[in-house]
Amino acid sequence: MPEITLDGLVKEYGGVKATDGLSLTVRDGEYLCILGPTGSGKTTCLRMICGLTAPDSGKVLFDGRDVTNEPVSRRKAAMLSQVYSLFPSNTVYENVMFSPKIQEWPEDDARQIVKSMIKMVHMESKAHSYPRELSGGQQQRTALARALASDSDVLLLDEPLRALDARLRLELRKELRSMVKEMRLTSVHVTHDQDEALEMADRIAVIRKGRIIQVGTPTEVFRDPLTPFVANFVGRSNIFVGVMGRSFDGYSEVMMPLGDGRAVLKVRRSEMQEGSAVVVAVKIGSTKLEKIRPDAAGGTDPPGYFRGKVERILYEGATITVEVGTPAGIVSAKLPNRKFEDHAADDSVLIWWPPETASVFPMPPEGLEDELRLD
Amino acid sequence: MKIRMENVSMKFGDFYAAKDINISISKGEYLTILGPSGCGKTTLIKMISGILRPTEGCIFVDGEDVTDTHLEDRDTGYVFQNIALFPNMTVSDNVGYSPRVRDMTKDETASVSEEYLKLVKMLDRAGAIPKELSGGEQQKVAIARALASGSKLLMLDEPLSALDARVRVELRYDMRRLVKKLGITVLHVTHDQEEAMSVSDRIILMRAGRIVEIGTPLDMYRNPGSIFAAYFIGETNLLECTVSGKTKTGKTVVRLRGGQMVRAAKSVLTEGDAAVISVRPENVYAAKEGLKAEVTEVVFMGTYRRVRTVAETNDYLEYNISSDDEIPKIGDKVHLVFNKKATMVFPRPEKGLKEAIELE
Amino acid sequence: MSLLKKINEMSDSRRSRKAWFGAVCVVFLTLIIIPSIFVVFRLFTDWSSVDGVIADGATMGVIKGALFNSFSIAFIVTVIDVIVGIPMAWLLVRKHFQGKRYLDTLMDMPLAFPTAVLGISVVMFWGAPEGIDIPGLGLNLSPYAMLILLHTIFTYPYMVRSLSAILEQIEPNYETAAMTLSASRFTAVRTITLPLFRAGLVTGFILCFARSLSETGGTYIALKMMGVQSTFFTGPTFINDAKSLLGPDSAMGPMILISVLMIVLAIALLVAARLMMVRLKIPTSRVWPQFGRRLSRGTVPKIKDALSIAFLLVIVLIPSFYIFAFLTQPVAAVDYGALLSSIGLSFLVAGAAVVFDIVFGIPMALYIARNRRTVLGKMLDEAVNVPLIIPTTALGFSLALFWGMFYSGDSTAVFTAMVILGHISFTYPLVVRNIIGAVEEADASYEEVAMTLGAKPFQAFSKVLVPIIKSSIIAGAILSFTRSLGETGATTSISGAVKTVPVYIMDLVNKDSYAEAAMCSIILIVICFILIFAVRMIINRGERHA
Repeated sequence: MPEITLDGLVKEYGGVKATDGLSLTVRDGEYLCILGPTGSGKTTCLRMICGLTAPDSGKVLFDGRDVTNEPVSRRKAAMLSQVYSLFPSNTVYENVMFSPKIQEWPEDDARQIVKSMIKMVHMESKAHSYPRELSGGQQQRTALARALASDSDVLLLDEPLRALDARLRLELRKELRSMVKEMRLTSVHVTHDQDEALEMADRIAVIRKGRIIQVGTPTEVFRDPLTPFVANFVGRSNIFVGVMGRSFDGYSEVMMPLGDGRAVLKVRRSEMQEGSAVVVAVKIGSTKLEKIRPDAAGGTDPPGYFRGKVERILYEGATITVEVGTPAGIVSAKLPNRKFEDHAADDSVLIWWPPETASVFPMPPEGLEDELRLD
Repeated sequence: MKIRMENVSMKFGDFYAAKDINISISKGEYLTILGPSGCGKTTLIKMISGILRPTEGCIFVDGEDVTDTHLEDRDTGYVFQNIALFPNMTVSDNVGYSPRVRDMTKDETASVSEEYLKLVKMLDRAGAIPKELSGGEQQKVAIARALASGSKLLMLDEPLSALDARVRVELRYDMRRLVKKLGITVLHVTHDQEEAMSVSDRIILMRAGRIVEIGTPLDMYRNPGSIFAAYFIGETNLLECTVSGKTKTGKTVVRLRGGQMVRAAKSVLTEGDAAVISVRPENVYAAKEGLKAEVTEVVFMGTYRRVRTVAETNDYLEYNISSDDEIPKIGDKVHLVFNKKATMVFPRPEKGLKEAIELE
Repeated sequence: MSLLKKINEMSDSRRSRKAWFGAVCVVFLTLIIIPSIFVVFRLFTDWSSVDGVIADGATMGVIKGALFNSFSIAFIVTVIDVIVGIPMAWLLVRKHFQGKRYLDTLMDMPLAFPTAVLGISVVMFWGAPEGIDIPGLGLNLSPYAMLILLHTIFTYPYMVRSLSAILEQIEPNYETAAMTLSASRFTAVRTITLPLFRAGLVTGFILCFARSLSETGGTYIALKMMGVQSTFFTGPTFINDAKSLLGPDSAMGPMILISVLMIVLAIALLVAARLMMVRLKIPTSRVWPQFGRRLSRGTVPKIKDALSIAFLLVIVLIPSFYIFAFLTQPVAAVDYGALLSSIGLSFLVAGAAVVFDIVFGIPMALYIARNRRTVLGKMLDEAVNVPLIIPTTALGFSLALFWGMFYSGDSTAVFTAMVILGHISFTYPLVVRNIIGAVEEADASYEEVAMTLGAKPFQAFSKVLVPIIKSSIIAGAILSFTRSLGETGATTSISGAVKTVPVYIMDLVNKDSYAEAAMCSIILIVICFILIFAVRMIINRGERHA
């Protein structure tokens, strides 16, 4: 299976750059997710890989071979479209048979492959149904079988789960990934859903405004985001603005104005210059709360702690989200559901986190609001 | 506003989109109607808002029978799944539409429009036309438009499903804060259980045109009344088993398919009954001894890791480990125990487990 | 097989795709556009003959009168169509009721009638023409009013169809949303849906206006039956009759002049209409809640629906079918040999035109549908409309002048070929429009996915797209076929020697053989219906399998 290299792809539509010098390497046999908000250029990127869109400049390479000008039909890169695009006048079987027939494989081989693909996606009982008679999930699986039966080397998945119900999506994530992995294809999966990317990807490429801003394993992207945007996009984060303080063994300090006074935040050790304006991002799942007993005296909180008042507690199943009002805005903490009984509205709490879970970034030049925009 | 539905059904041809609906909703309540596609949840709010007239039963708002009241006299805000902002009008004209068609003066209309745009923090885009806005912004305007009618009752028809996942999460918290501040009664239709859990006071779970269960998120998650509810609201491990007896404290003891005994919560089932136990991944722990299982996959989920295993009973079992814990390798043998208080017992469904949890 | 394979392979190369599309554009330009407007060039080269006409007050008076009649009738008819078309489109798209399918089919019936037949039928119904024993309503209508009644019939379906097409695309949720915001249905429609409707109005307007402006056969027959054919003219009947009226030589100048005037005026007017529609603001700032509510409930909407259906029945359908009253009379003697040969000729012309339209229309439609935003796409989109808005009589005349440069013999076969080219010109846009609509509705991802699965572009087109848009292609073909079958003006102005069915019927009327003309018409209509229903059945069966 090929390694795909995208080299400086630029594509402009009516003066708007859909991709703006996009470069990325997808490894042989890897399941890569391109994760980004709507309009970030992720679908354009996918279309350039299979040749449906020609880049204005830049190259697409398969195993080092330049395929930029190769027609779609020869690239062996099958697309699984967001709307499935099952051919409406063909049955499930005929849909899956499409590619073998077009490529004029020997009939027996073709029949066998098609049958085994249909079996793999559990559609045997519906093989002679028409697409409109299928449920969303069944259509999705048929489209997958059709793509896999084409003997392609590359599988491109364009938001393959978007049109499905949330609960079904959870089930199909597991199923889809394991089937694709079994075929050992080089796969590129485009999505706006960070949970989906975290769960399915070998590596994630975060895309924004037509550029890849970070590539890494799910753990890397989640734990070591390169920009405040990535920090907040891949898992909700609490964002604080402050001034870089001193650094110590294992952590650095950030001074954050808080009401009339200020709080000292502990963050992952950083080499940034003392006194520079910085942004701190802490995943809500890493944010901890400690209840203050009502009789505990006020006074200054120790470094790494500041206080707030619980505004509401949302029971969300496996986790609860506690929203705490502070002079620096609402701080959310996502805690395991067994902590539900520990907190109540109007409680005073201390907010803290392990310093290594707090990422710190220089203040972005275009301003924080623009940096954090989700759409 | 208080709402009551009595024996309401909606029939299209021979097909019941909703059947025997009986609910009452109190003033200021945030209620979500949750269920898979085609379960009749949208039909339900369409009947309350007057877009559809039920074929059977009555609907009361504040004690008054409104079953035959026309749509335009219902005074119900409605936010559509596809947003449906009027494309030929600016944002402020969209929000000002309701005051305008009630013959308010230009100045009144403008001030109402401004007030509600401010509320959803969209005042700076007042002059834009809808297609210039992002999906999330459009939805905020649609909410402002529905609220600007002054209605105290708001229907949200999958308001977030057209948006990006991350925007969805942000907007749902904003939405709840907003309507709670205004004291409005909300019915929110969704297929996303996570969304339902995080915004609602109560959830109505529907399936195939009928109400399966009504309860608070906490109740529904901890004490679901059916296998479907347990499976649909949050993830869970389901294991087929047989009741083999009770402990002195009334806990149920069940025998799994491989013969292993497991203790579970109290139940009305008696010895010999065919059963299914449901235990959520966060209530399964690796221990020194217990049910043997082989690790098939470990997935990073952000704040935790999900371990997928196949147990010796041939059941799939999933559990969570903290992301700081040591990561088991694929093929590792682990021993799993269940939190017995959180292990629920249900009678095994006659048509089989698969049918009971089918999503489509 | 090997040819198909070659086409498949070739379609993979961008260069050969471009070459093929280039060829289609060249064909479109040289066979359709240039001959259609060639007469405008002749205005300059033959200025001397035109100059003479302008100086001739009497002829100019007739020309001016004819133009006035044509344009004012077209305008009035179009306005009537809009007024009655909107409620009917509403009924067809938004309402669900029993028998809707039949209403839908009835709507298209007038399209299957050659207009020459409609001419006879309408005058019979409303008036009491001499020489016909069947009693009509006997109203003593002016020719002007009669023509309005006649033209309404064959323009009405075009209007209803284009309005329905747009209405189907307008999100019904907009209206519902407005009503949840306390707007009555009347207010919701007036302030939300109607403003979104403008594009549909422009298309409907263009289609109806152009259709009315073009019509020759039915108009001529109606005038003839009322005995005013040599005193009352429309533009097309003037061109049709000029040669016999003024003699072949002195007719040239007036014919060129009136053709050019009609072409230029039609194009100018329609450009103006398009610009005006875009600017046109439907006043929406004031609302009258009580009034709106009263209009939206109870009997008012019911009366509106009843009136829509009554209009369809009384104004459109009954007058169209009235010709069947001849079946109550003793069967007239029919020269079956002549009739069948003219039917054969008509089918040949229509068939050839439709085949050409499909072969060269599909690539054009694909390009326009997929490249709406590019300059070339926009230009072609407009250019395709040109032959549609040019009055067909002027178009035929222009075409005859153009090909007359290359051929001056009198072989009927060559004239027939020229007639076919003429029919291609005005049917081509109908096919292309229909297919553009279908292609735009079919998601591009079908073909794209097919290509990523290894299909060559031509395979993706023939195996994936064609099955999806098949029914629109057939609908377009039926529309073109019937339109060609009913055409008189273009045929007679190209050559008097090509006797297609409507021309044959017109000749019969000219000879006052009403009964025979009616019998021929009935036979023709029956054949048309059988044909259309056969095609529909085949499609339906195909779709049930699919």
